[in-house]
Amino acid sequence: MAQVELEIQALKDNLLDMIELVENQVSKCRKVIEKKDVRLAKEVIAGETKVNAQELAIDKDCENIIALYNPVAGDLRFVLATIKISNDLERIADNACSLAKFLKKYVAHIDHKLLDQFDIEKMLQTCTVMLNDMHEALKKEDTKLARKVFDKDQTLNAINRKSVKSASTLLKEHPEDHKIILRLFTIVRNLERIGDLTKNIGEEIVFHIEAQVLKHHKPEQSKS
Amino acid sequence: MNSLHTNRIVDQGFKYLGILATFSGLVILAVFIFNILWDGLDRIDWDFLMGLPSRSASRAGILTAWSGTAWVLGLTALIAIPLGVAAGIYLEEYGRKNRLATIVEINIANLAGVPSIIYGLLGLEIFVRVMRMGSSLLAGACTLSLLILPVIIVATREALKAVPNSLREASYGMGATKWQTIWYQVLPAASGGILTGVILALSRAIGETAPLIVIGALAYVPFVPKTPMDEFTVLPMQIFNWVSRPQHEFLVNGAAAIIILLAITFCMNGFAVYLRNRWQKRINW
Amino acid sequence: MKQIVAEDVNAYYGENHVLKNINLTIRQNTVTALIGPSGCGKSTFLRTLNRMNDYIDSFRLKGKIEIDGKDIYAKKVKVEELRQKVGIVFQKPNPFPKSIFENVAYGLKIQGTKDKKFINERVERSLRQAALWAEVKDILDKSALSLSGGQQQRLCIARTLAVKPSIILMDEPASALDPLSSAKIEELIGELKEKYTIVIVTHNMQQAARVSDRTAFFYVGELVEYNKTSELFTNPKNKQTENYITGRFG
Repeated sequence: MAQVELEIQALKDNLLDMIELVENQVSKCRKVIEKKDVRLAKEVIAGETKVNAQELAIDKDCENIIALYNPVAGDLRFVLATIKISNDLERIADNACSLAKFLKKYVAHIDHKLLDQFDIEKMLQTCTVMLNDMHEALKKEDTKLARKVFDKDQTLNAINRKSVKSASTLLKEHPEDHKIILRLFTIVRNLERIGDLTKNIGEEIVFHIEAQVLKHHKPEQSKS
Repeated sequence: MNSLHTNRIVDQGFKYLGILATFSGLVILAVFIFNILWDGLDRIDWDFLMGLPSRSASRAGILTAWSGTAWVLGLTALIAIPLGVAAGIYLEEYGRKNRLATIVEINIANLAGVPSIIYGLLGLEIFVRVMRMGSSLLAGACTLSLLILPVIIVATREALKAVPNSLREASYGMGATKWQTIWYQVLPAASGGILTGVILALSRAIGETAPLIVIGALAYVPFVPKTPMDEFTVLPMQIFNWVSRPQHEFLVNGAAAIIILLAITFCMNGFAVYLRNRWQKRINW
Repeated sequence: MKQIVAEDVNAYYGENHVLKNINLTIRQNTVTALIGPSGCGKSTFLRTLNRMNDYIDSFRLKGKIEIDGKDIYAKKVKVEELRQKVGIVFQKPNPFPKSIFENVAYGLKIQGTKDKKFINERVERSLRQAALWAEVKDILDKSALSLSGGQQQRLCIARTLAVKPSIILMDEPASALDPLSSAKIEELIGELKEKYTIVIVTHNMQQAARVSDRTAFFYVGELVEYNKTSELFTNPKNKQTENYITGRFG
């Protein structure tokens, strides 16, 4: 096997690991809400350093591969995609971490009905599935699976749009909870951001495998 | 470790064997030269060099002999060099490399080793008798040309072979024809080798006696040849003549003539070596 | 403007089928790189463009190669004229064992040019174009063999330029040179491209990527892919091409 092949394979393994890490961070957040388990929230916060370290390691590996191996074609596209994906993953993990920080403080005594109004659990579930799809898509080089992320992102966008209405209704009905309601409103936005970032990851995966650039295309076109 | 030790012994042994062989050759040569100089050096003076042969040893000179040698050499060169070099060029550059070509190449090399007296017999029949040249300088030169032609052809071919193909390619790539390439690039590059071969061939011709005897060169020629159709003698013949006599004075004459012949041969060979060295320095592929 | 058009070209060394159905068009004033593993036929194809293969007895060509609209293998074609129009630079620099001046003037000499002034001007111009003038202008009478490898190669380029070709073929021109000289040759190619059409065979893929506008990938005698260089190196259409340029084989 050529040396560059080994390097690319190792990089791919590292990237898959990072996706899994971040996927766990997000799914743990959902479990925190489900089980009202503060310990899990603390785990997520602690896990943030590991994600950051992974991003740095992957960035360094990409730099080395470019400098030393002059990758072209598929190899080059993979390295470029990896740089962007690891960046997206780091920001997803960041969002998950700030959610965990909020949950650590409030999950014990928050009103579950409020969480349901904002569909936060559903969003977290969707995000987890999306990240899992990305992991599988990258592992199996399945661009069809990668493209599925666009639909799911639409779901998150819909929930986000609905949240404005939900927020204003709730503020009128429960003005004493205004702090929590506003925090939850922000969390919905963050979760929608996670969806966007995961969608980016999907686009990068398609670019790496098919050399098609889906960025900034209209959703209808990207369905092809 | 043992084989290492043996290897070193063999190494040293071969080195000393080589030194021994070289010195033996040099020593024998030195003895011979010293001997000849001792015998004949005193005899050499202006009269000897410019005098005509005579029945009397003390009055005999080698003028006709060395002028005959010069004539024969000159004519031979005039005939053999153009023919030989041209043939060499044709065979090496133009000839198609098939089985016939290989057979020709082998046979030419063989011809170079044929005893010279055979050439003498050939010359006698063809040049002296059939072509009616008589026992003249021309017949002698033609015969000797036949003799050294294979040597010149082989030397020319080897010199041309030594010219790397990249040179020809470069010339063709510039749009030169085959002849332009040969004339402007290949021949100049091979010229040193060809010249060396030619001079060595001529210095061989200088010493050939047997073929000239066969075609009828005389032992006693009291005149200096003036035209190519004149009869002649050459130095080796004169030497042979003198050393066959019992009188001591003639032996001394012979020794003196040998010194002259050696001097000419050494000069020619020395010149060939000088040329070869100069040529090799100019061209370093 | 189409300058070189190869149509259904098949070439043979005796029984050996070395080029198979090559169809290729090269435009004027472009640099085209021919890449591929050893023995794939790229050098053979290059040499068909100026008929250097004619000197190999067993070589046969079927198909058509047109340069500037004329079939170069037609019966009445004068090969010498073709070679002055299509110059060639070889892998190992092979200057003639003559002076620098005589090397560059050789092409003019065999054309029969006698005008000394003209020759002097042309020699200077060619040496300037080859980025060698400054280094040799005071030593034009010295032997060409006294120059360094990189300088010798630029000299070979200069002598080709002296007869004003329109196409320059280069058979791995930098592979026998050190990296610095190799870089100078690349720079030179970039400059020459404005006036000449260049076809270059190279084993060095990074070099092919740097200097060429289009790249042709040959494999076992076939033209596998031919495309803009930037396309071929970021998104090759053929799996074999991808495997070769990413170093997966050969």
